[in-house]
Amino acid sequence: MSVFGGDSWGREAQHRKRRVDDLLIENVEASLYKKLPSGKFACLVCPNNPVLDTATTLSTHVNGARHRSAELKHRERKLAREEEVNRRLAFSDSVSINSASSASIKPRKTSNKPLIERTRKATSEVFSGEFIRKEVKSETVNPIKIEEKHDTVVVEVQPLDYRERNERELKFTEAGWKRDGHGRWFKDENVEFDSDEEDPNIVLNDSV
Amino acid sequence: MYLYSLTLQKATGIICAINGNFSGGKSQEIVVARGKVLDLLRPDENGKLQSLLSVEIFGAIRSLAQFRLTGAQKDYIVVGSDSGRIVILEYNKEKNTFEKIHQETFGKSGCRRIVPGQYLAVDPKGRAVMIGACEKQKLVYVLNRDTSARLTISSPLEAHKSHTIVYSICGVDCGFDNPIFAAIELDYSEADQDPTGQAANEAQKLLTFYELDLGLNHVSRKWSEQVDNGANLLVTVPGGGDGPSGVLVCAENFVIYKNQGHPDVRAVIPRREDLPAERGVLIVSAAMHKQKTMFFFLLQTEYGDIFRVTLDHDNDRVKELKIKYFDTIPVTSSLCVLKSGFLFAASEFGNHALYQFQAIGDDPDVEASSATLMETEEGFQPVFFQPRKLKNLVRIDQVESLMSMMDMKVSNLFEEETPQIFTLCGRGPRSSLRILRPGLAISEMAVSQLPGVPSAVWTVKKNVNDEFDAYIVVSFANATLVLSIGETVEEVSDSGFLDTTPSLSVSLIGDDSLMQVHPSGIRHIREDGRINEWRTPGKRTIVKVGSNRLQVVIALSGGELIYFEVDMTGQLMEVEKHEMSGDVACLDIAPVPEGRQRSRFLAVGSYDNTIRILSLDPDDCMQILSLQSVSSPPESLLFLEVQASIGGEDGADHPASLFLNAGLQNGVLFRTVVDMVTGQLSDARSRFLGLRAPKLFSIAVRGRRAMLCLSSRPWLGYIHQGHFLLTPLSYETLEFAASFSSDQCAEGVVAVAGDALRVFTIERLGESFNETAIPLRYTPRKFVLHPKRKLLVTIESDQGAFTAEEREAAKKESFEAAGMGENGNANQIENGDDEDNSDPLSDEQYGYPKAESGKWVSCIRVLDPRTAQTTCLLELQDNEAAFSMCTVNFHDKEYGTLLAVGTAKGLQFWPKRSFEAGFIHIYRFKEDGKVLELLHKTQVEGVPLALCQFQGRLLAGIGPILRLYDLGKRRLLRKCENKLFPNSITSIHTYRDRIFVGDMQESFHYCKYRRDENQLYIFADDTVPRWLTAAHHIDFDTMAGTDKFGNVFFVRLPQDVSDEIEEDPTGGKIKWEQGKLNGAPNKVEEIVQFHVGDVVSCLYKATLIPGGGECILYGTVMGSLGAFLPFASRDDVDFFSHLEMHMRQEHPPLCGRDHMAYRSSYFPVKDVIDGDLCEQFPTLPMDMQRKIADELDRTPGEILKKLEEIRNKII
Repeated sequence: MSVFGGDSWGREAQHRKRRVDDLLIENVEASLYKKLPSGKFACLVCPNNPVLDTATTLSTHVNGARHRSAELKHRERKLAREEEVNRRLAFSDSVSINSASSASIKPRKTSNKPLIERTRKATSEVFSGEFIRKEVKSETVNPIKIEEKHDTVVVEVQPLDYRERNERELKFTEAGWKRDGHGRWFKDENVEFDSDEEDPNIVLNDSV
Repeated sequence: MYLYSLTLQKATGIICAINGNFSGGKSQEIVVARGKVLDLLRPDENGKLQSLLSVEIFGAIRSLAQFRLTGAQKDYIVVGSDSGRIVILEYNKEKNTFEKIHQETFGKSGCRRIVPGQYLAVDPKGRAVMIGACEKQKLVYVLNRDTSARLTISSPLEAHKSHTIVYSICGVDCGFDNPIFAAIELDYSEADQDPTGQAANEAQKLLTFYELDLGLNHVSRKWSEQVDNGANLLVTVPGGGDGPSGVLVCAENFVIYKNQGHPDVRAVIPRREDLPAERGVLIVSAAMHKQKTMFFFLLQTEYGDIFRVTLDHDNDRVKELKIKYFDTIPVTSSLCVLKSGFLFAASEFGNHALYQFQAIGDDPDVEASSATLMETEEGFQPVFFQPRKLKNLVRIDQVESLMSMMDMKVSNLFEEETPQIFTLCGRGPRSSLRILRPGLAISEMAVSQLPGVPSAVWTVKKNVNDEFDAYIVVSFANATLVLSIGETVEEVSDSGFLDTTPSLSVSLIGDDSLMQVHPSGIRHIREDGRINEWRTPGKRTIVKVGSNRLQVVIALSGGELIYFEVDMTGQLMEVEKHEMSGDVACLDIAPVPEGRQRSRFLAVGSYDNTIRILSLDPDDCMQILSLQSVSSPPESLLFLEVQASIGGEDGADHPASLFLNAGLQNGVLFRTVVDMVTGQLSDARSRFLGLRAPKLFSIAVRGRRAMLCLSSRPWLGYIHQGHFLLTPLSYETLEFAASFSSDQCAEGVVAVAGDALRVFTIERLGESFNETAIPLRYTPRKFVLHPKRKLLVTIESDQGAFTAEEREAAKKESFEAAGMGENGNANQIENGDDEDNSDPLSDEQYGYPKAESGKWVSCIRVLDPRTAQTTCLLELQDNEAAFSMCTVNFHDKEYGTLLAVGTAKGLQFWPKRSFEAGFIHIYRFKEDGKVLELLHKTQVEGVPLALCQFQGRLLAGIGPILRLYDLGKRRLLRKCENKLFPNSITSIHTYRDRIFVGDMQESFHYCKYRRDENQLYIFADDTVPRWLTAAHHIDFDTMAGTDKFGNVFFVRLPQDVSDEIEEDPTGGKIKWEQGKLNGAPNKVEEIVQFHVGDVVSCLYKATLIPGGGECILYGTVMGSLGAFLPFASRDDVDFFSHLEMHMRQEHPPLCGRDHMAYRSSYFPVKDVIDGDLCEQFPTLPMDMQRKIADELDRTPGEILKKLEEIRNKII
């Protein structure tokens, strides 16, 4: 057999070797290691991710005591996570059942974006139920009566709607007012104001 | 997203120009380089410049030179480009193409400092060419011819000198001795080594002669001498018996004659009297004119004054050098003196001009001479002059140029069918606002009122061999008017035409008789005055007529066709009758093919939405050859014959073909190819032209048949450089038209519209826009449209100029001074002519007087584009200049729309960028928006280069700070700011609560404004440091931008990032997330990338035609307009990318730059198909077209159709 000819035994030998490697790896779970582009293997279970040169060394590593204990821990963690996921899924389902009254809003699954998921949940609650509106109503329904003692005239100040008030407050933040710890408004020193600008401390408190 | 890039208007500016006999023979041509386009121009006999050929070379042309081999009749073109190759081209007159004779590779591609291509010089005897780089490298190629008289080129000989900057090179005329090249060089090796800077101060420019020893085949430095450090340009002086040889060195304030072994002869360049003392005078362009007995030079200074330089010599000894004031024209980049007595001035900015010499400046005028040069303690004594009106030159033509387009917007302010493109062009006194409309320009020759409302018009000749038309026949509702064409156009009654009836058709029939078809018959008027009448049978009337020179077909009411032929004796004989199934809507007969007795095809359109082709052959007369159904009843039919062509003037290689055009009642023009033998119809194309059914007429354009389509506006279908173009005309709606030819107007059109008869000609074929220019005062910077009031507001500014009042005062003073001189000292007034007082010199031609460089002038102008009236013009005082502008509506404030203008005071760029103060002015509109009134101005700590309205407030980019302002009583109130931008903010776009900020050097930054925190956050930026020149907002996540290297790119925020930003409920993420290395946490992705090859200065998203696709338009500094159209289907993308691939392989660019490498000059091209390359497909030879078409599984016709379709989507 000529090495230079077309029928070299080298290729066949290489093929045989690869077949052996495949057999060796077959009994190792695919999610526990990763084949690197260099042809080497990295163990994904052990905490230091050792890199192993060949399939043979990988299979011996897998059978080693250190790997086994790591694998055990790994399994446990996986189980715990699955449990948690199931628990949360069940919870989210119950919410969606509650809000099923408005059929048009379907909670979309975005498992990789928990934050967005939470937003969706919040909005679906707002849309379907009277979750927040109730609180607001309790404020708006009862007008506050201020009795002024000298004149004994009852001045009825209609308090602002929740949204309207929110909007007014936003306008003031936009204009550069800030709030201190007591909810009082003060001017941001980096912002310029007109001489006759409205003071939210007066405007907003008046209306409350 | 895939885009199709198409240049709508090729660059109009000129980088360099050369002249010579490129086609051989006597004619003089000019070759101009317009950045990436090579054009061949020729002044025709009327003194109009015609563009013969225009080739996109897909590379940057840096220099051009022409040479002629000894004894030859034809000039060759040498091109120095960024391809790293020297290319020699020859113009082929027969095929109307540039042919590449030689292409020699010598270095890397691109415009690098040591790669040759920047300078070209040829030996005046055409024996060698030198190609030089800015630094170090110079190569010399020997040119010769082989035994069969073909041009040969040698391998390069090196004349390198390292650490040397080259300023100019030229060939030295030394007859038939060894060729010599001269160069102005500066050696910086010592300055580079010396940290104290002393050597840099002492660096000295040298004039070096390089000799090419033809015997040894070697280049050597022959001679080197110190030269004035202000030297910038070399001009060859004729030698070898014609003159003293040597060179003219143009330096600051001086022109010096130098030659080896000859003392310097130096003369001072005369100065304008009003020039500040610290300003020098530099020569920017030069031309030499040589006749048998004399020669002279024309040198132009940077202020536009041309001087005629003559050398008084005795064989090789130069005795005197004289510089005489010649004339003043706008500053040019190249001057070309043609042997035919023309001067072509390729302007630096603004329109180019062609001048004719009235004199060659022999009259006495201000003159500086080497003999009278006085040296005093303060240096050489200057000579002064006053510019005067043109004396030696007269302008006979100008070529429009949009060069240095600064800003562009598209809007339908005039409420026309298509939107107008508003552009700011030019610089200094030559700046203008130009309004571009898609369509050809026309020039109206005459408009005359008629007694009634005409329905149709024809022109007829009296004899086939006549050159001009004899009569114009106008048909009214119940009469016919005949006008004879002579010196004047007047009504005649002896023509033989029946004038008491309307006409259906009037034409020349046979060789010399006339035919009038009217509803009740045919009147045949013989040359000798005999009249034959044919009457319709019964009560039937003629409804439609089709005729050519020998055949007539009439359609009677009811659908009967009667066919007549002209027999040998000139009689009109009835040949055949045919009954159609219903009424005939229109008919036409194909023109008689050359050398034949009759045409074979008659096309008949019926109201049942069909077009039939009938045979007129005696064998199968009135047989239906083919049938085509169309979408709506045809209104008008026209056969258009295209003659076979093998290239030549204005044509590409294509076989003869016959097209049938039909104007349908739904406004569509339907066009098919008619098989010349069988009459089968194929390759149907349709295009919507307007709301009215197009009427089709055959007219002559440049000696070829063309089609005029009259819909709600007129269109012209013609063949230009191998393309069939269907272009709108910028003219009003017309009813009926006919071609018109008289001795005043060889190729015109006569048309009726309303009750007027109009005669006009069509101009500047091949262009896609026509323009209206409104002059402006200073270099325009930006403009905004006030859409409600249909007004434009522009800001203009110039550095180193005087304000209008100062100029007025200075002018008055100088005139007074000149008047005094007249009384006192007689010899001072030679150019202060009396006429000057009555006719002040126009700034557009003479330029503004110059002031110190630190002085700025600027104005804000409100302009009504409809009347071209300026309704308000505010000059900024106190050395302020405006840089940015926007309209803004502050929320719940009383003023309505306000104008914000960002200005800088005392801005200087050299030695370091500095300024005294920056301001934002707020103006309110008064009197219907026509007048501006200053509300207040706010000082800011930087130059506000970008302003934008945002949520009822004003966003300003002040240096590296993005700041939000609210309107206060006495000033703007700072509300919020972000100082984290890297360099300087140049553009701001907003959409909802997103802000897209463009940084001068670092591409786009995406920001968000949070109301609840009153904070601006940068949440994404680009990974590539782009030097932005223009930006446009595409959609919520996408921005289009261009950089100063000529790239166009689109960046898009990835979808998931965009979602996350929008759905961040707590807002904590955007606040606390941090990027790496001070960048933003997220990065935008580049989705489109393309190298345009020209600095794009403005971008705009618009649809140019009704029903077209929305595209991104761009305007470049060189004055070209282009568009990017997004592809609608994957199939189209595949088709065009394959076509582009084949074109790249089969048709490499002319000047040797690889197309792919060119479009990827800075970044790899991504998802853009180059339409300019695809559109070169019809210029390929026929077999090559077929080969490419085969590879694409299509026919060449289908490819052309595809190209036409996509072009029609854009314009």
